[in-house]
Amino acid sequence: MARSEIRLSKLTKQFDELTAVDGIDLHIPGGEFFSLLGPSGCGKTTTLRMIAGFEQPTSGEILLDGEDVAYTPPHQRNVNTVFQNYALFPHLNVYDNIAFGLKEAKRPKAEIRERVGEALELVQLPGYERRKSSQLSGGQQQRVALARALVLNPAVLLLDEPLGALDAKLRKALQIELKSLQQEVGITFLYVTHDQEEALTMSDRLAVMNHGRIEQVGAPQDVYEDPETLYVADFLGVSNLMQATIVSAGTSTCRVALDGYELETRGTDRDVTGEAKIVIRPERIELEEHGSPSGPNRIPGMVERVVYVGSAIQLIVRSATGEALQALVQNTGGEIPYEQGTPVQLHLPVDALRVLPSDVGDAPSLEDEEPDPETVAAG
Amino acid sequence: MTTVAEPRVRPQPSTLTRLRGWLRNPWGKPRALVVVTWVYILWSIVPVLIAVQFSFNATRSRTVWDGFSDRWYWGDPVDSVLHDPALSNALAQSFKLAIADVLIAVPIGVLLALGLARWRGRGSGTANFIMLFPLVTPEIVMGVSLLLVFSHVFTFIETGTTAQILGHVTFSISFVVVIVRARLFSIGRQYEEAAADLGASPFRALTRVLLPLLTPAIVASAAVVFAISADDFVISQWLSSGGPTDTVPVQIYAATRAAPLPSVNAIATIMMISTLLIVTVGFLTWRFFTRGERRAGKAAEDFGRAFDLT
Repeated sequence: MARSEIRLSKLTKQFDELTAVDGIDLHIPGGEFFSLLGPSGCGKTTTLRMIAGFEQPTSGEILLDGEDVAYTPPHQRNVNTVFQNYALFPHLNVYDNIAFGLKEAKRPKAEIRERVGEALELVQLPGYERRKSSQLSGGQQQRVALARALVLNPAVLLLDEPLGALDAKLRKALQIELKSLQQEVGITFLYVTHDQEEALTMSDRLAVMNHGRIEQVGAPQDVYEDPETLYVADFLGVSNLMQATIVSAGTSTCRVALDGYELETRGTDRDVTGEAKIVIRPERIELEEHGSPSGPNRIPGMVERVVYVGSAIQLIVRSATGEALQALVQNTGGEIPYEQGTPVQLHLPVDALRVLPSDVGDAPSLEDEEPDPETVAAG
Repeated sequence: MTTVAEPRVRPQPSTLTRLRGWLRNPWGKPRALVVVTWVYILWSIVPVLIAVQFSFNATRSRTVWDGFSDRWYWGDPVDSVLHDPALSNALAQSFKLAIADVLIAVPIGVLLALGLARWRGRGSGTANFIMLFPLVTPEIVMGVSLLLVFSHVFTFIETGTTAQILGHVTFSISFVVVIVRARLFSIGRQYEEAAADLGASPFRALTRVLLPLLTPAIVASAAVVFAISADDFVISQWLSSGGPTDTVPVQIYAATRAAPLPSVNAIATIMMISTLLIVTVGFLTWRFFTRGERRAGKAAEDFGRAFDLT
């Protein structure tokens, strides 16, 4: 079974004056489910297209099992792609679509028949050989695209937002399926998505990209719990960001001052002084009744808005320091314990608070939106 | 302050008002436009139908109906299309030119379209633009310049069939390019990339994926090329060496200036019906190859768009 490692070294792609991918270094060991996560225009798709061979890198190396393939044309690379819109050949039926690559490889007929059958079995579509792609639902087309790529036993399977065109429920089901499929075949998967939930649920490791650069690489849990930059903190899930002044910084704990309140946070390896941002996830904020004994890391606040989300209740709480913080309360089925205007006490646990230097990475904002390099390149 | 609403009495609308309402009903069909369309269709098709009718006239008149006859097609031993050598030659010459034009212009046009659609960078915009020139150049200008080319530069090509074919190919290629390129853009690069991804060399991707997907556009452009070649008067006339190289339109023009017989209507009818047949076959092929690819009705629309250019 093919379990090839990918190593990208100073990989750069420029479209005219736009730098889509800006010298990224990345190592993906064999058999890993790796995701490139980022907003549109961050360079993730361009990276994938360079690995597939559809774009030529401006500079840098693409090492597949140690061999530089940056200048190998796509049809000679042992990688296969599942395209965002599947790109199933409309003039061929399911069987011929899946057999396409095997025929190009001039495999004997009997072998082709057997392997196509197995591939259809693998994606749970046996008996669909004679269907045209226009007769398939989106989810089925997605499976055929997967079978078409996997049947060639690629060293690496590249997936370009393959679930993007499907509805939410099917997407969830296919996420789980895709992950177990990857574990079954053991092939290295490189998955490109802008959907953080997809990346978090499926990946062994993921990289968060921004402006053609990699902001952070790590296991989903590490990246989510321990974002290294403001950008990652804000892009992955919802984060409450607060401006604070460092009182003392250390590797075990830090102390920050926040408009008259002093909070203790987790330690940092970074050398932070002066102004910094502190970050906490909504689900880590604990709400206590107004008048509870005050203690460390506690700030009074007032419920400003109550939003019923279904599985949880989202509260916007204005803290005494002036920030609007988002908090999540599990929906246990009873009465919603808070209403607009309820005074509460916010508990920000030490291990949930994190200090990030203000100048590392810029937080994403709407003004940051850049044209998608793909559309720029096409235009 | 309150106002008591008085029961409103609607006056019985006059016929004119009702007609206006029927035409202008903003929630209904655009009836005014439909009426205009039908008036135009009748205006353009009725003279043609009358011309067809008189091709079956039993007497030599092209204006007075004297009963049905096939004499102008094959019945008359001297003046029918079948027996008048000038007419039967013209028919043969027209078909010869149209078929040769299709066989030469379509392959070249497809290759040009592929090249132009893929070519990015300096010069590509200009080249794409220049490809449209033959579509807008007055035919008479093209005819004159081609005649100059054949009489002064490529003097080894004499006027006659070869020059006519070259002339037709020259202006037909643009139509092929425009139609095929439109289809190429709507196909996009995704299928080629998928083919390359699955191990197909650029040539294999072309033959296994791109050409099958281009088939409808190729057939459509062949039909268009046939139609415009059969239709052409100016270039056929300029590059004709007279007599046996006169095409149907040239022959009709010459005959109408002398003493026209209904056999002229007959040969025009034959041309019209063959062109219609070819275009219909083109349309059906287009529909067959693009079935399931698009919403119903879209096929006709796309095919029609190809013809808007003529």
